[in-house]
Amino acid sequence: MEYVLEIKNVSKFFSGLVAIDDLTINVKPGQIYGIIGPNGAGKTTLFNCVTGIYAPEKGSIKYKGKDITGMPPHKIAQMGVLRTFQNIRLFKEMSVAENIMAGYHTKSKQKWYHSIIHNSFYKKDELESWKKVEELMNFFDLSDLATTPTGDLSYGKQRKVEMARALAASPELLILDEPAAGLNENETIELTKIIKSISEMNIGIMMIEHDMDMVMNLTDYITVINFGKEISQGVPSFVQDDPRVIEAYIGSDDENDKEDANGK
Amino acid sequence: MNNKTTITIAFLAIMAFLPLLADSAWLSIGITFLVFAVVAFSQDIILGRAGVFNMGHAIFFGIGAYTTAILNVHFGLEIIYTIPFAIIFSAIIAVLLAGPIIHLKGDYFLVATIGFNIIFEQVLSNDIFGLTGGPNGIFGIDVIRIFGYELFSDTAIYYIAFGLLIITLFIIRNLDNSKYGRALYYINKDEIAAKSMGINVPYYKLFAFALGASIAGVAGSVFAIQYSAVSPESFNFMQSVMFFAIVLVGGSASLPGVIIGTFVMFVLPELFTEFKESRYLIFGAAMVLTMILRPNGVWPVTFGNIPKFLRPKKGAK
Repeated sequence: MEYVLEIKNVSKFFSGLVAIDDLTINVKPGQIYGIIGPNGAGKTTLFNCVTGIYAPEKGSIKYKGKDITGMPPHKIAQMGVLRTFQNIRLFKEMSVAENIMAGYHTKSKQKWYHSIIHNSFYKKDELESWKKVEELMNFFDLSDLATTPTGDLSYGKQRKVEMARALAASPELLILDEPAAGLNENETIELTKIIKSISEMNIGIMMIEHDMDMVMNLTDYITVINFGKEISQGVPSFVQDDPRVIEAYIGSDDENDKEDANGK
Repeated sequence: MNNKTTITIAFLAIMAFLPLLADSAWLSIGITFLVFAVVAFSQDIILGRAGVFNMGHAIFFGIGAYTTAILNVHFGLEIIYTIPFAIIFSAIIAVLLAGPIIHLKGDYFLVATIGFNIIFEQVLSNDIFGLTGGPNGIFGIDVIRIFGYELFSDTAIYYIAFGLLIITLFIIRNLDNSKYGRALYYINKDEIAAKSMGINVPYYKLFAFALGASIAGVAGSVFAIQYSAVSPESFNFMQSVMFFAIVLVGGSASLPGVIIGTFVMFVLPELFTEFKESRYLIFGAAMVLTMILRPNGVWPVTFGNIPKFLRPKKGAK
């Protein structure tokens, strides 16, 4: 298996308007793949198509060689495609540990009757699950916050909890939607290290990011999209100097875009 | 021992000794309280945990009561053997009714369940297949016999209801500490995030329905035993509104909240019978005030239900 994700000629329309237009993207295991482009270019729509929130009208999406086009989100997640959200979707009132436990849902083998009667199988499974949560809290340096409701955490910590939650499902493809949005410089550096070490676990990573320094440092390969269309593709150094990319960014009033991204 | 356990044990201890102090009028209020508390807790699984706006919970309470009544009066089955049927029928009806509409958003779902409740009441009042007895319901339900003993005293029925409450609390505690129980909370708090974590949302919502309905079904059986009669108005839309309000006013997924809610909605009116007619006025006002002043209920739930070894050591922060 060469690619963990193959997006082939995918298009998505919203009431006749083209949101993404004929995109083809291939992600390898362990690769960090950047998706960049001005606001409204269709980046998040693309992620929503891959994770099953939307079904694309045209084209096909394959995960580990299996067609997942139009499958419901929970099935795609069960197969090993996990994500984080641009506007952070944690279970705010619940503790850090309980949030991370949500990611372990697909791994837990408990049946419906284990919610009524707790037998020895339940006890073993429950302990294993919480051990995994402990491991992830250690990895993300969140152990001291185990009982803290995630709504009370700083932005940077919340982003880490969201990633830990996705990793708890042992994904083979991790989809990060603007992981550095709202983070300060130190937090961004820490996050960069974390993402790097996740990719070293042979997990394919696809990320949208507006922080260009981070994208250029971190990613192995980039697709640039504008108005739903691919305008450039290649390694960071190539994309950076591609005149079409420069034109798209300057032509789209780059300063405003940056402000929008930071103001969120 | 944490706070929640202390409250639970104190509450159960009071309820266990109540029959020693109470006369028969108080005892029957006690039974009503226990039975309605069980129904409220079962609604709390569906509404408080899964977050599904079920405005037809009286249906499942009614299915249980009528199953026991019909099987006993028309088919001569011993009361004790009607209870498994009450559990299974309630769960099946719950899945059949909720299944086709489970994908609906909160408010739409709520309206659909109101419709079901109205239809249910009509079915009972119109004596379908000559089984439901029409507007007057079914009379002459037998006493419950266990191992040849006839349990007809109020005290015996009180302890049956009390036993049911303990079983219900036991199930809820186990549910809250399991994969299925946690999935319900995740769905309630953020459905899209839950889906994206691989949680099959409709499946878990229907599971909550089946479990909540079967518990309400048993409570219905006990209700039928207590009055040895059943009639449609005990299971009408207004009752569903009550069960819905108890959970929201008391506090979703909160044990003390549901107990307070049940006490206020069902026990206080019995104590002030002279005000019985105006009780809805007072409840209406109480509901409005609670929602304004304490939108999460009188006694909101607290999370952080995780094993000891994961809790940070005190002073480590």
